Amino acid sequence: MAQTQRPKTLLDSLGEEIIRILTPVSICMFLVVLLVSILNSSSSLSVTSIATIAYSETSSDSSWDKFLGALLNSLAFVAVVTVATFILVLFFYLRCTKFLKIYMGFSSFVVLGFMGGEIALFFIEKFSVPIDCITFLVLLFNFAVVGVLAVFMSKMAIIVTQGYLVLIGMLVAYWFTLLPEWTTWVLLVALALYDLAAVLLPVGPLRLLVELAMSRDEDIPALVYEARPVTHHDSASGPVQRRIWRGRQNVTLDSEDNLSSNINVNVVSDLSSTANIVQANHSGTRMARVEEGQVSERDAELSAPLIDRRMDGQDGVLAESLMLEGMGLGSSGAIKLGLGDFIFYSVLVGRAAMYDFMTVYACYLAIVAGLGITLMLLALYQKALPALPVSIALGVLFYFLTRFLLEVSLYNVL
Amino acid sequence: MTVAAGIGYALVALGPSLSLFIPVISKKPFLILTLLSSTLVWLISLIILSGIWRAFLPLNSTTWWPFAILIFTSVAFQEGLLLLFWKAYKRLEDILDAFADRVSKPRLYLTDKMQIALAGGLGHGVAHAVFFCLSILTPAFGPATYFVNRCSQILFFLVSAIIALAFVTVHTFSMVIGFNGYAEGIKWTNFLFHLFILLLE
Repeated sequence: MAQTQRPKTLLDSLGEEIIRILTPVSICMFLVVLLVSILNSSSSLSVTSIATIAYSETSSDSSWDKFLGALLNSLAFVAVVTVATFILVLFFYLRCTKFLKIYMGFSSFVVLGFMGGEIALFFIEKFSVPIDCITFLVLLFNFAVVGVLAVFMSKMAIIVTQGYLVLIGMLVAYWFTLLPEWTTWVLLVALALYDLAAVLLPVGPLRLLVELAMSRDEDIPALVYEARPVTHHDSASGPVQRRIWRGRQNVTLDSEDNLSSNINVNVVSDLSSTANIVQANHSGTRMARVEEGQVSERDAELSAPLIDRRMDGQDGVLAESLMLEGMGLGSSGAIKLGLGDFIFYSVLVGRAAMYDFMTVYACYLAIVAGLGITLMLLALYQKALPALPVSIALGVLFYFLTRFLLEVSLYNVL
Repeated sequence: MTVAAGIGYALVALGPSLSLFIPVISKKPFLILTLLSSTLVWLISLIILSGIWRAFLPLNSTTWWPFAILIFTSVAFQEGLLLLFWKAYKRLEDILDAFADRVSKPRLYLTDKMQIALAGGLGHGVAHAVFFCLSILTPAFGPATYFVNRCSQILFFLVSAIIALAFVTVHTFSMVIGFNGYAEGIKWTNFLFHLFILLLE
């Protein structure tokens, strides 16, 4: 039956950028929840790492002791992260970008290789998969190398890059959920506060980094997830792009045509966050304590300031953008979200999964709402914004509310 | 029961909503956002309600009238929520229309409005199903199962899944019908409609 072709309404395209960043975040969270619920070994593994050097929690301590210990742990962790961030800023300032890139590649390799390997080992143990050492090592090595290449070195299909970024986020998040409970929660709150301070205070390291990068017109070498850019085609000029996973320009981190491709021709300019938003993820480095032997905690890249980059005079000029849209030239900026955000959102949801599934749903909704609010604030304020605080605040709030209020009443009614 | 049975129950509760989601809602990102926000609003209302009711728990389960009051107030609260949603929707419609004019795209069609209402209702329904059915489904993945108290032939999880399914349908379409009714602006039919839903729940 032939359908009359109506012109596309606003509803078809509004909010598309938000969905493109929400989908991988949701996938990452879902994978972490799956991992946590399958590998339910919360008590049998004691992780010695930086985050627990001050205090290792045992279940026999009183609440106050636990709280103090957790506080000490998170303060130590935040201190380490701050120092590492300042070192990173220093390197960036001295233009050692090559060194930074190599270091990032190396750390991704370690994450994928060692952490991925440990988790695979858990799986093999739990499900008694018959596989021998050599095959396993070969597979693991290939997997890790492809991951490093996809993320840093070469231009690959964007779905491979995005997939590997989500995987890295998932692995690191899973490791974080192995920390003791109080430490995890206090750590999340502490990191959210640190993120807020580091991005908004004039002396904060992340803000310095962002300003350096912008003044030099360079790209920050860090693990950043980039959603596909949105192009708008008129219905006359070609098939309407479906939302996800269509091949288009392959934007990598180390190309400076990254900037030139961020021309904002997006029709939805000021209402939603599809303005040209570049969110650079900044990495705080954690030292790998490989000499511990048992477990090394890999520090990947941390929290994201969200930066709005104004494009060369074309920002919000609707007539021009319409014209370009008509010609089908539209290449718009894509939203970037730092990998650290992925990680800490997933940590929150993973921790909630260790309690019950109800808290998982509540926390997921809270985080998504927080992310939406942050994106809206970004469109409003047009400067670098931390992505963690709102979502984590809402997530923690909802977790505790759900745990103590909802469950009691629901179980009573049922 | 087993993983298979557990997934089966989850699908019974959420299957139709999934089949609504994939063709209609996942095509338009704005509808996904509407769905998520309405789910969130429902969750918040549930938290508020349970906060209020915390004071009166645990209920004496032999008499039935405290439960009736509980259900009555909860449903009344949620109907109020529908009204609130309508107000928010009106404002959203104005904003979207103004925006559409600026961008010189056509205004929202009737089907668009209905789709927004559908997404909102589905959000409510999914939230209800998830919180009342899926969250207690975790034991169903294990090796045993529960039966209902009064009638020991029916599986507990099946009952809860079917009830959740019914609620999804009710929520989804009540919002669509409700929005249509509010659009017409007739007072007493709206009131009748709400009464109907109240009785239903």
